[in-house]
Amino acid sequence: MPWLLLFRNLFAHPVRSLLTLGSIVVAVFLICFLRAMVGALEAGVEASSQRRLIVQSAVSLFVNLPTSYQTKIEAVPGVDSSMKMQWFGGYYQDPSNFFAQFGVDAERLLRAYPEIEIVEGSALDFEARRSSCIIGEQLAADFGWSVGDSIPMVGALYPRADGSTWNFEVAGIYRALSNNVDDRTMWFHFEYLERSLETGGALGPGGVGVFVLHLAPGADATGVMARVDALFENGPQRVQTTTESEFQRQFVTMLGSVPTLLSSIGGGVLFAIALATFNTMLMASRERTHSIGILKALGFTHRTAFALLMGESLLLCGLGGAIGVAVALAIDGPVRGFLMSYGFTAFEVAPSTAALGLGLALSVGLLAGLAPAIGAARLRVVEALRFEG
Amino acid sequence: MSVEAIIRLVGVERTYRKGGESVRVLDDLDLEVPRGGYVALMGPSGSGKTTLLNLIGGLDKADGGQVIVDGEDLTRLGQGALARWRAASVGFVFQGFNLMPVLTAQQNVELPLLLTNLSRRERREHARHALALVGLDDRRSHRPKQLSGGQEQRVAIARALVTDPILILADEPTGDLDRDSAGAVLELLDKLNRESDKTIVMVTHDPRAADSARSIVHLDKGRLERIEDRRPLEPADSTTT
Ligand SMILES: Nc1ncnc2c1ncn2[C@@H]1O[C@H](COP(=O)(O)OP(=O)(O)OP(=O)(O)O)[C@@H](O)[C@H]1O
Ligand SMILES: [Mg+2]
Repeated sequence: MPWLLLFRNLFAHPVRSLLTLGSIVVAVFLICFLRAMVGALEAGVEASSQRRLIVQSAVSLFVNLPTSYQTKIEAVPGVDSSMKMQWFGGYYQDPSNFFAQFGVDAERLLRAYPEIEIVEGSALDFEARRSSCIIGEQLAADFGWSVGDSIPMVGALYPRADGSTWNFEVAGIYRALSNNVDDRTMWFHFEYLERSLETGGALGPGGVGVFVLHLAPGADATGVMARVDALFENGPQRVQTTTESEFQRQFVTMLGSVPTLLSSIGGGVLFAIALATFNTMLMASRERTHSIGILKALGFTHRTAFALLMGESLLLCGLGGAIGVAVALAIDGPVRGFLMSYGFTAFEVAPSTAALGLGLALSVGLLAGLAPAIGAARLRVVEALRFEG
Repeated sequence: MSVEAIIRLVGVERTYRKGGESVRVLDDLDLEVPRGGYVALMGPSGSGKTTLLNLIGGLDKADGGQVIVDGEDLTRLGQGALARWRAASVGFVFQGFNLMPVLTAQQNVELPLLLTNLSRRERREHARHALALVGLDDRRSHRPKQLSGGQEQRVAIARALVTDPILILADEPTGDLDRDSAGAVLELLDKLNRESDKTIVMVTHDPRAADSARSIVHLDKGRLERIEDRRPLEPADSTTT
């Protein structure tokens, strides 16, 4: 088998080969990336707790509820406890330093989210001081924060009246024990936010975004949801109660039917590179006609002719696939960190995804190489030699 | 004939079909070439010279008759066997040189040796030797594009002889060359015939090229017109008519 010839042929037109290679790299990378993304979106929904319910405004997530609802909700049979939770929407120094911050009932946080484990500082300390917060391990690592630090936050949604920053002291650092809670979130006292609004120290919408309910042992989720919704049937504001997983899914569908969209983008990308590779191989095989004729005249068989063109196609696609997968694996960590700040905890380019990317690239190579390779195998020497390549 | 025939064609026919029409390119052709012979094949364009050469070299198959080369009836061999036979027994030289543009002179000459059992090192040495024989040992690492036409053809001759075949088939080897380069190529073929006992069949339009052959076969419209003996094969044992 003239391997040297195979490699030399591959780079006989370096620009064309590199362009095709590049398109395969990009496509395989995108496919790996999109698949990991779909996985991340769906993991949030799957991992969410069945024992937690979320009460939100029936109008929209962006409409707040009166805080006074909390006592009424807690009186509903089957509800063990409840917690206010408000999206703060601020940032540290620069808007690109994105991570989630929630104002919550501090003393109820650990009961509502048993998945949160304090690994440094103390929960008591957090509950005791109104301007304190707890932050995720990853967040602490990213910004180099430790217990005792004061974090100045710009209140984008809730600007302070005097134009200064909010300052949250780190009372504790937590670790997430499960996938549905990320470890890049800042939790602080809802009360602190509420008081600042009341005293005019800060501006912004009053009320609270959602209530997080914890079901009493043995309570039936469907029944509790119906009872809570019925409670406010006649206003002043109607509510919609869902399980946490429904609530998470709502985010996913809010982004459009993202998983389906991502999958079809992946399919389209694959189709496009298949066409590009087919084109490259057809051009290559036309140029090779004369060479194949010479090889056959020298006594090389139709098998060698087949292998030469198939090998070229497989090599091109395999190389592109390998680079694409390598790039996807290389950005896996950074992207996971980035997406975590948006609450997606499970972004991962899994081995099965890498294998899929490489497999698809090789399949394209196989298909694109097939027609040229069969043509080369069948090529009759005399005609090939008459062909002036 | 006093000398054993290495090529023996008996009643050879070759017909090309184009659409409904069929053209008989070779018609009931008989021909013998003795071992160690040097035959020039001449004739007008379209008379079937290339077709005949391709049949002898096992590149094409006859529709009728026998093509026996070195004791092997090529009309009975399948594709694979024919390919193996070509690799072992024939060296081709074409008008257009037909070198691989992406390979160096050395690599081009080594190419047919990939079909042998030789080690990498032996292949390299055989190829060097062949290139030295055609006087191009200093151009080993040049690509075909970096060589003159005459040099390219000498590389092609080195490639044809590197497997040490008994038969060298050349289709207008000097057709694309200037006078001096053509002279060098002819000299080389003559040397191969004389010193290495290669049997050579060369298609040519050039009377000067034909002059260096031992006999000239004239072909016209697919039939043998006449055979002209130029120089006796073995002067002592000549039975020239
Ligand atoms: N593949 C083919 N299909 C149809 N006809 C063919 C084919 N190959 C050759 N011919 C015809 O066979 C005839 C002989 O062709 P060949 O190439 O043997 O001629 P030639 O003597 O070598 O001519 P030239 O001196 O021009 O090279 C020509 O008429 C040619 O058109
Ligand atoms: Mg011809």
